Amino acid sequence: MASSCCLLNQIRNQSVFIRATNCLWLLTLLLVYAPQKPKPTFEEVSPATSKITWKHDNAQSPDRQLPETVGAGCAFLDYDNDGWMDIYFVNSGPSDFFTPTAPLKNALYRNNHDGTFTDVTDKAGVAGGKFGMGVAAADYDGDGNIDLYITNYGSNILYRNNSNGTFTDVTDKAGVTAPGWSTCATWFDYDNDAKLDLFVSSFVFYDKSQNPLCTDPTLKQRYYCVPRLFKPQPSRLFHNNGDGTFQDVSRESGIAGSPGKSFGAVATDVNNDGLMDLFVANDTMPNFLFLNKGGGKFEEIGLAAGVAYGEAGRPRSGMGVDAADFDGDGWQDLFVANIDQEFFSLYHNDKELIFTDQPGEIAPATQLLSGWGLKFFDYDNDGDPDLFLVNGHPDDMIETRVPRVRHREPLLLFENTGRNFKDVSASSGPVFTKMFSGRGMALGDFDNDGDADVLTSNNGEPPLLLRNQGGNRNNWIGLQLIATKSNPAAVGATITWQAGMLKRSRLKTGGGSYLSSHDPREILGVGIATKIDYVEIRWPSGKIDKLTNPPLNSYVKVVEGSGIKK
Amino acid sequence: MKRNSSNSHKKAHKAHKGEALLLLCLLFLVCLFVIPARAQSTDVVQAFEQVAALIRDDRLAEADKELTKVLRLQPDLPVALNLMGSVRAKQGRLAEAESLFLRAVQNDKNFTGARMNLVYLYLLKRAPDKAIAQLNEVLALEPANLEAKVLMGDAYLAKNDLQKAEENYLAALDNKLDNAGALFGLAQISRVKGEQREVAIYLNRVGTLIADSTAPDFLYKFALEAMQVGLFDAAKSALERAVSLKPKEPSYLLALGIAWLRKTDLFEAEKLFRRVLVLEPTNAQAQLHLGYVLLNQKKYAEARTWLEKSSRTSAPIPEVFYYLGLVAQEQNNDAGAIVLFEKAVRQLPSYAHARIALGSSYMKLKNYVRARQELETAVKLDPNEPTAHYNLALLYARIKEPERAKEELRIIDQLKAKGASNNGVVVLPPKSNP
Repeated sequence: MASSCCLLNQIRNQSVFIRATNCLWLLTLLLVYAPQKPKPTFEEVSPATSKITWKHDNAQSPDRQLPETVGAGCAFLDYDNDGWMDIYFVNSGPSDFFTPTAPLKNALYRNNHDGTFTDVTDKAGVAGGKFGMGVAAADYDGDGNIDLYITNYGSNILYRNNSNGTFTDVTDKAGVTAPGWSTCATWFDYDNDAKLDLFVSSFVFYDKSQNPLCTDPTLKQRYYCVPRLFKPQPSRLFHNNGDGTFQDVSRESGIAGSPGKSFGAVATDVNNDGLMDLFVANDTMPNFLFLNKGGGKFEEIGLAAGVAYGEAGRPRSGMGVDAADFDGDGWQDLFVANIDQEFFSLYHNDKELIFTDQPGEIAPATQLLSGWGLKFFDYDNDGDPDLFLVNGHPDDMIETRVPRVRHREPLLLFENTGRNFKDVSASSGPVFTKMFSGRGMALGDFDNDGDADVLTSNNGEPPLLLRNQGGNRNNWIGLQLIATKSNPAAVGATITWQAGMLKRSRLKTGGGSYLSSHDPREILGVGIATKIDYVEIRWPSGKIDKLTNPPLNSYVKVVEGSGIKK
Repeated sequence: MKRNSSNSHKKAHKAHKGEALLLLCLLFLVCLFVIPARAQSTDVVQAFEQVAALIRDDRLAEADKELTKVLRLQPDLPVALNLMGSVRAKQGRLAEAESLFLRAVQNDKNFTGARMNLVYLYLLKRAPDKAIAQLNEVLALEPANLEAKVLMGDAYLAKNDLQKAEENYLAALDNKLDNAGALFGLAQISRVKGEQREVAIYLNRVGTLIADSTAPDFLYKFALEAMQVGLFDAAKSALERAVSLKPKEPSYLLALGIAWLRKTDLFEAEKLFRRVLVLEPTNAQAQLHLGYVLLNQKKYAEARTWLEKSSRTSAPIPEVFYYLGLVAQEQNNDAGAIVLFEKAVRQLPSYAHARIALGSSYMKLKNYVRARQELETAVKLDPNEPTAHYNLALLYARIKEPERAKEELRIIDQLKAKGASNNGVVVLPPKSNP
């Protein structure tokens, strides 16, 4: 009796095993034969379609003044709070070395909700009028309206949004003029006082008398000098006083102690201590990693962290930067785009404030390129951050001097493979076969279809608006975070979401890319999952909002402390 | 020791091969030059011209057959003996070639062509005294023979008699700077004397003279010499010309790849090493250099494949272990990298770059004591290497010795100011020559 029982158990167990094996086999078959969703592509939206006719004028002169080749940036922002991303472009303008023959303007384009845009620059009063570089959009005064900070060669401009479609230049009153040559600006809250502070990258000390003669004897023509020839300048940190004014805390914070030739900057938390740090790319100088020590102090730790120099101890030409936890280990990794022959860097965060440059497939793909605008984002809504790179050599005559390096360069798209990235540019649309003099790059869902689109600004060329076609084939949820106790941009918030087996986390960083500003909303991809179990937002204030079974494939407003706003 | 002897054997073999090629080319010239003068009738002249053409086209069996027919009828015919000697030389049967040339000379004491062939043969066999004896005979018959004077210089150079070599090269030049062979000889003399500037001056002149040369082996020989003194552009031009004349000669392609490498154009170098490997899939030098190029392009997986192939094809040199270690390091396998770097350092204890890499891997594994040891050794071995100082700076910064870190960075700046910068090149190319 006992033996027959065992036998039966054995048979039962065996059949269970066989069933399980069969199931696995069936699952394998399904995985193999299940129709793969086509990957998203990026489609150029022509000026005829978008009605965006603005073009960047780089003011290129025979003297090859350096600021001519550096700009400019662009932004996605919702200036009129209608829930649709508008667009801002920065242009050159009058300066000590340039007098435009016709007026040059920055441009604000209002989103008409139908794929077209209308130029509202003059009505809004945000034309700039200086030799423009970059833009950073954020609600610095917490009044619910997005304001604009424009960096320039000369001095900067803060436009306060009047909430009626117009802006007022409040630069002097706010105390954020920052004379000199500013490049990237980053809004973030370094002291967690719920107000947005402002970091402004400074490039070299420059005026028209500082332009050395850099020529090619065979061409008898000047070319743009390498920034190595110019003196570095300290960047600036402005503390938001909460009354519409700012205090320059560059010196006391430690930021001014490290003069640089700074371009891209991103605010992130590299050691998970709840304080936002700053990673700043420098051109021909070591990069800076400003570790936020608390109490309003920063310590520059780039060397020890291993992110300052190239592998031979040679400073590289860092331009665009970004930060994200690309491998899902809970630690923020860093990315810097450098000039040709220097390879771009993907710095993996090894914890304990040590990084290792592990660019993988990105390195050979970027050996001959010079990178500016770039952003980690989930282009296919599978839940992990991919990477988009905008490239272009700063020297328009480089092709006469360096073989295989071109002035106009292609865009690149890398898909996250879990531990690294794969170049998918070739299969992501014809636009990746074209060449551009790329500089700025902004990210935003301008058609509100649930996948992130791309806007690039090109030096001396028209901008490029790219519609993400098919990123929303995977499921998603879009969050508009409305802070009540934290800084208005919710920079520093950590968003965690789970949909079945897929669990992801994302830190809301500040800045990133080059001279550009992004859609503040967060699109959380969940792949093929048809239900999101929860979304949790850990606000910089420490408050936590957990959304259970939130709606799929739509944008929701999440108010700090009270969850989804109906 | 074993590796060294094996290497020198290989080098000797290569030199032997290179010189043999040179010899054969010149043998043809001699044959073609001599035939018309020696032939008794138009038919005979035409017959020998056809045979010479067969030899030139590497149709040695057919040439052999024709000459055998002639020698059966006229066993002591000098022209036929000379041509048969050329066939044997081209077949690598040098002893038989020598015997045939000697018979040609015995039967016709004034046959300078056969004597010149003997000269090339003796120079190849490193018997300069015998070459000199033949050259004296040639010059007695033809006192204005410039080629003989250059070869006389070469023979004395082979005997390390620099003075007599120089005299002969100068005699060949006769106050004119248009004899590439003589100038090349003078460049070699200057190199032996350590007069780098003079070497460059002579070689630059040679480079100009041989721009349209149709002698690929001389172009190749020139390029190797030019590369040794850093005249990479001249070497590259000569090799490009050589390759255009003989597109499938692996040694030319390899040397051209190395010239591009020295010009830091990895893309051109890569193309050439790949061409060598199509022609000679087991060419260890090409495998090593391709691996090196791919490593520098950060194409690690393929770099490893070629480096491993190279280590299987020939006894691995320290560079191979070092490069493979770098691949492992880049792939986040520092423990594996350390094993490879240790091998490189065991083979070559003075290998500063391998020690730097070793220090870097120990640093990544947070073994700061070993890291410091290796990096400080590297700095002692090569105080002018910025990478060593950078890694030390990194180490000091991590072990909270900021002042020492700053000092290392200061040293890097000083080295840069002195022009000792590595220009971002971390990995030095293999030292081996083509």
